[in-house]
Amino acid sequence: MREPIANITLLFILLQIVCVLVALAYPNEFRYLSATNIGLLMKAIPTLGIIALGVGILMITGEFDLSVGSVYTLAAYVAAIVFTAGYPVLIAVGCALLVGIVIGVINGLITVRAAIPSFITTMGSMLVVRGIVRWLSESGSVSFRPSAEVAAIFTGSVAGIEAPFIWFIGLSVLAWILLHRSKLGNHMFLVGGNERTATAVGIASQRVKVIAFALAGLAAALAGVISIARVGTATPAQGTGLELRAIAICVIGGLALNGGRGTVLGIFVGACLLYMVEDVLLLLRAPGFYLDVFVGAILVGAVIINTWMTRRSSK
Amino acid sequence: MNAIAEQEHAAPLLELRDISKQYGHVDALTNASFTIGRNEVVGLLGDNGAGKSTLVKIMSGVEFPTSGKILRDGKEVSIRSRKDSERLGIETIYQDSALVGSASIMRNFFAGRELTRGLGILNTARMNEIVMDQLMNVVRISGINSPDIPVEALSGGQRQAVAIARAVYFKTAMLLLDEPTSALSVRETDKLLAHLSELKEEGVSAVFITHNLYHAYESCDRFTILSRGRVIRNLAKAETSVSELNDIIVKY
Repeated sequence: MREPIANITLLFILLQIVCVLVALAYPNEFRYLSATNIGLLMKAIPTLGIIALGVGILMITGEFDLSVGSVYTLAAYVAAIVFTAGYPVLIAVGCALLVGIVIGVINGLITVRAAIPSFITTMGSMLVVRGIVRWLSESGSVSFRPSAEVAAIFTGSVAGIEAPFIWFIGLSVLAWILLHRSKLGNHMFLVGGNERTATAVGIASQRVKVIAFALAGLAAALAGVISIARVGTATPAQGTGLELRAIAICVIGGLALNGGRGTVLGIFVGACLLYMVEDVLLLLRAPGFYLDVFVGAILVGAVIINTWMTRRSSK
Repeated sequence: MNAIAEQEHAAPLLELRDISKQYGHVDALTNASFTIGRNEVVGLLGDNGAGKSTLVKIMSGVEFPTSGKILRDGKEVSIRSRKDSERLGIETIYQDSALVGSASIMRNFFAGRELTRGLGILNTARMNEIVMDQLMNVVRISGINSPDIPVEALSGGQRQAVAIARAVYFKTAMLLLDEPTSALSVRETDKLLAHLSELKEEGVSAVFITHNLYHAYESCDRFTILSRGRVIRNLAKAETSVSELNDIIVKY
């Protein structure tokens, strides 16, 4: 029970069992197991889940990215604009992802070279990128409607599992390999755990951090592309608030705010848990303001439980 | 051929010649000379601010001297980074910062020197095997039954043992121990001092930087005493005693 992830996974499974039992007992009143609801969940979780994977990797190296919400929107705009200009889908998606990586690298270089808190760097780039999106949106709304075969990559389904959710699972596996099984991932944990020591054993901690920033930007951009492929149009306000929700998912999933600790499974379960609670409230027809109240309460509750359990088991 | 081999044998493992270091207008070290011989444990002594830490930082590549020469086996070298000192076989064990607390023993052991299967994927099984073998057979620490325990769950002595096992495994020629006993219990200190003499038998030299003259006297073969950035005495263990060392440090 030492690992925070064990607590949160247990909580998730318990909630899941309760919901399934209630849904089986009252199939008409509580449509948790209906195909529509499950499909909806699988489409809703990945957007924020993928962003949280990037934000989580960065958090493990000890840094934050508040610009992911803006990058998410900008990537959707870039994909739509390049595609509307007549270029193939592949180029449009490539440009959008590149923009995410470039913004991430700039965030990273400014943070490590100027040695300032990433909280500030990325709060600045959040506003700058948001401004660019506003400027782009002044020439009217943009749409991204690739051919049906291409769109299926982002919006289709395989054996009842929605494509975005397959993307989320696939990217989670990649993130798991990177963080828990690769040399670079080991360096990320060490840099986040104690940067001075990591540097003392010869790890290029600045480079590791810049790579993590780039991955956070890439993940946000990819989420933006998947989302616009599903919805078809981009609006300037759509990414607002995603950055804090992504951090909330990571914290619920047991990642330490000061870096060095966390698991990909935690991010995955955190994302599912957050949406599951929102979904249950919606199914119970709770008024909208309950959503924020519950998410806030879960965030603080999860951290209290994790801290308490970790402290107790280390005694 | 023979002459070269002889010369190499005669030259000290590491020699610092007339090293000076200034921070702005402050002279941290002034013409300090210091040698580490083969199979030798040298005690680097002195009161606070004597320049011990600066000397260690210069040897481990964290700081660069303002003037002076560094020779490894009689050949002039320059130590500008942690990588340079690692290449010369120098490993520094700081009292607290040698390991990352939140990471596991294995991940600390191989930090920056991970074994991979190619493509940057860690060979976890092999690394776990090596770590356990080193901990059980080289430093023989008890109470560690898994390489996955986070370092923060270990005692101060166990942490030192992990750092020492790492230095031994990566074929370090010289260990620089900066105040290694300050955070240890009496029993752990005993064990550490025993490790030092074992390491010497295996051909690893060590520099022991400490305030505790009793610990230093017990484990060192020779003492270099610093005061206000200058080397004031060099004494072999046979020609001195704890009280004499104490007098020298207090008097200057």
